[in-house]
Amino acid sequence: MSATILDVNNLTKRYGSAATEVTAVRGVSMSVAPGEIVLIMGPSGSGKTTLLSMLGALLRPSEGTIRLNGTPISSLPESRLPAIRLRQFGFIFQDFNLLSALTALENVAIVGSLNGLKNGAARSRAAALLADLGMSERLTFLPEKLSGGEKQRVAIARALMNDPAMILADEPTANLDSKIGHEIMRLLRRIAQEQGRSVVIVSHDQRIKDIADRVLWLEDGQFKEMVAMAVDPVCGMSVERERAPARLEWEGTTYYFCSRGCRSEYAEQVSAAFKGEGLYAS
Amino acid sequence: MTRLALRNLFQSKARLVISIGGVALALMLMLSLDAIFAGVEERVVAYINHTGADLFVSQSGVRNLHMASSWMPASVAEQVADRPGVDEATPLLYHSNLVSVGDERSAAYIIGLPPDPAMGGPWSIAAGRTTPGPGEAILDEGIASTTGVGLGDEIRILGRTFEIAGLSEGTATQGGSVVFISQEDFSQLRPGPPVISFVLVRVRPGADVTTVAEDIEAEIGGVTVLSRPAFASEEQKVVRDMGNDIVAIMNIIGFMVGLMVMSLTVYTATLSRRAEYGMLKAVGARNGDLYQTVLTQSLVSVLVGLGIGLGFTLALAAVAPRLDVPLTLVVRPDSVLRVAAASLVIAAVSAILPIRQIRRLDPVMVFRGR
Repeated sequence: MSATILDVNNLTKRYGSAATEVTAVRGVSMSVAPGEIVLIMGPSGSGKTTLLSMLGALLRPSEGTIRLNGTPISSLPESRLPAIRLRQFGFIFQDFNLLSALTALENVAIVGSLNGLKNGAARSRAAALLADLGMSERLTFLPEKLSGGEKQRVAIARALMNDPAMILADEPTANLDSKIGHEIMRLLRRIAQEQGRSVVIVSHDQRIKDIADRVLWLEDGQFKEMVAMAVDPVCGMSVERERAPARLEWEGTTYYFCSRGCRSEYAEQVSAAFKGEGLYAS
Repeated sequence: MTRLALRNLFQSKARLVISIGGVALALMLMLSLDAIFAGVEERVVAYINHTGADLFVSQSGVRNLHMASSWMPASVAEQVADRPGVDEATPLLYHSNLVSVGDERSAAYIIGLPPDPAMGGPWSIAAGRTTPGPGEAILDEGIASTTGVGLGDEIRILGRTFEIAGLSEGTATQGGSVVFISQEDFSQLRPGPPVISFVLVRVRPGADVTTVAEDIEAEIGGVTVLSRPAFASEEQKVVRDMGNDIVAIMNIIGFMVGLMVMSLTVYTATLSRRAEYGMLKAVGARNGDLYQTVLTQSLVSVLVGLGIGLGFTLALAAVAPRLDVPLTLVVRPDSVLRVAAASLVIAAVSAILPIRQIRRLDPVMVFRGR
């Protein structure tokens, strides 16, 4: 096995042309080692999703190369990409994206069937994966009968079904409460450590930083130095402390907001509760 | 993927009922109309098939009964009887017209029978006489029942009143019935030199039907000789030709209804699962896998619809004879095969739009919450 499992070099993605051209990702380079968890953060519209789509062979870059285990997947013909996605990547989505008509077990097994596993073998592997994730009591449940955390566990089992080298997760905790979100992240940490799989996560969730080996900050389509971040207490968005459009001091603590609207809303709430004592807006 | 197709199909019960019900109804329309016309074809030749004749001799060029008239000199019957290989020759008079039964008027094949005919008379009698005497008529039992007349009542044929002397069975069709009167009465109703319409021929045991037919046609001028099956086939052909346009139009309507129902339901079913198909593409499913899912759903819906449509048509065919209507439904294997082929076309065509939709589906959509 090579020292890096994923090697990205000078990756650029442009949409449109001439006057309407937009560069979503510009000259991004990165590498991911086996068993490493890389967290990519950044403001909305910074190019995180575009970058993740390119890493997962879902979107072709305009320039640059992506090598997975030495194979330049960015230059493979379109016809070979489904097989790469099926065997080399495990995907975890923000909305879980389970098949509503299939049970938890079948949702996992179907990915094995797509990879040519016989039905029986696919089901037994799916059952073992789900059991390992604490879902053995929920095998025959349809997604509508599962909680958000359980759905994400099924999605993780599905991502592991074909024994991929790399897991790509798009906002995996966005639809989960903080406790369940933490559990899911610990689960991904365990998978990376015990199974040596690399995990690339795109998220706004600051708490994920605790489990990441490395945090990359993407802004305007480029990696930038990690800056001090804060969470807007109204909308929950990550904002750079230095460049926050609005802030508010109260009882010795500074709060950062994505907009003046959020700050006003927060100030109104605090004023209503404490009659505005000690509030300092800037 | 077959499991996914079936689960998708049976998950939305309302959609399933609409699609299968719509297709079943459309295919039943096609099947039952075919069956009705097949029934008409079968019943319309009931008289010909029950005459007991091996050959039908008619005026040259006349090859059936429906919408035809055949007139030959009465002497032809004796000439035919004298030909080698002929065992029996029965002359018939025939005319197609309306008969008045009670307050009803209905179309009928009016057959003029000689006294004690060897062939051509009613083959099953429910009540009364088997051969009409002077001033008497034998009427179909079903017609008598629906018009409320019976033995001894009066019926008007070709402008003259006859007494119902017998009630025959199996002699009614959707288009009319067969009424038997005596040849003597028939001749009086048709002034002019003595003529006959047909000569029914039974060949001697051991004689070759084709040889006898060729001999009669060659030796007696101005006649056409057909075997009973050929004569029946010509009769069916006339009826079929008359119904072909209606059957074709109704089949097209049935096909279009089935196609529209299936197309709409398969398309909306695929549209509602767009995100799921997108996810499958993202995780590595090939387009072919997803096409197979859509095609399986379409095919299963159509085949279940065909089964239900066929079941209802067969049930209708079984129930029809018990109803008091001269309606026979005959479900022929070739009709079932034709409708099954149409079903497959419906399944394939209705999957085209969803397949195009899937082909254009960008798997990146799953990362964009669409």
